[in-house]
Amino acid sequence: MSTANTVHGRIERARVELTPTQVAAGALLVLALGFTLLFVQEPLVHDSMHNFRHAAGITCH
Amino acid sequence: MLFDYLTRGVKAGLLAGVVFGLLMAGVANPLVAHADALNHDGGGDGHHGHSHATGGEGEAHGGGAVPTAVNRGASVLAGGLWAVLLGGVFFGVVYYFLEPAIPGTGATKSYVLGAAGFVTVSGAPWLVLPPVSPGAQQSLAVSTRLPLYAGMMIVGALTCLLAGYAYNRTCESKGHAAGVAAAMLPFGLLAIPALLAPTNAVSGGLSPALRHGLTGLFVFGQALLWLLLAVGHAQFTDHANDGSEIGVPSSPADEVTTAD
Repeated sequence: MSTANTVHGRIERARVELTPTQVAAGALLVLALGFTLLFVQEPLVHDSMHNFRHAAGITCH
Repeated sequence: MLFDYLTRGVKAGLLAGVVFGLLMAGVANPLVAHADALNHDGGGDGHHGHSHATGGEGEAHGGGAVPTAVNRGASVLAGGLWAVLLGGVFFGVVYYFLEPAIPGTGATKSYVLGAAGFVTVSGAPWLVLPPVSPGAQQSLAVSTRLPLYAGMMIVGALTCLLAGYAYNRTCESKGHAAGVAAAMLPFGLLAIPALLAPTNAVSGGLSPALRHGLTGLFVFGQALLWLLLAVGHAQFTDHANDGSEIGVPSSPADEVTTAD
């Protein structure tokens, strides 16, 4: 039974439910968000989040 | 089903995001601005010498490159979006895949995941790179610190997975208490990379009391964020439905395509 309540079952279920395009789109979205958070060094964007980056404990200066 | 999980995760993220945004606006913003002002008044603390991405000399954080209002607004917004992102990724996607393996039952699972998320995103990296107060000079370059932070996030995630695995295995044979004890052990392993990592010496012009206070506030903020995510997620999840959710869809209409 592919929908057994195990981690493996969840992965199987996701494989059945999601099309490869959806998986690719989701992965790309997460990648883009992570990339933005980490590497946006565009001074304007970077500086406007200055207070937040301190509050999140992730500082780049 | 994944979509339902994602929705619940984002909802928890919105709830936590609103509160964290208020914390940003009401507490963190004024305090960081105050610290920045102190740094600039003090002068000669080396703040002007730091090389930022702009390479600009004497760039005034929170008042120079961008107007203060923009900085504050963007920071509050970023705080809210940060919570939504964590909610969607951790309490949406990760919870969907790992739910059967997360220790505990019902709402406990939400709190366990919240603790694991905090260790992964903040706790483990902070062992090497604790949150620093504004204007502080750090001995490690940004190009060293970013991979270090990311590396410790991976170490933190692996530690949490190992702890969960240890709990599940031990719980089966030796009971709940032994399982909890076994789950604690992997967190001791976090000390190894923390000791091996290069030291990041921090020096700043602020008084130690203010520096420690700010660091404490940042730690408190992130811990609060994860607690709120977990509380929200536990509220939004219908735990009475835990067992049957998998086999028997609660509403037939939204499961039609996957009924097979």
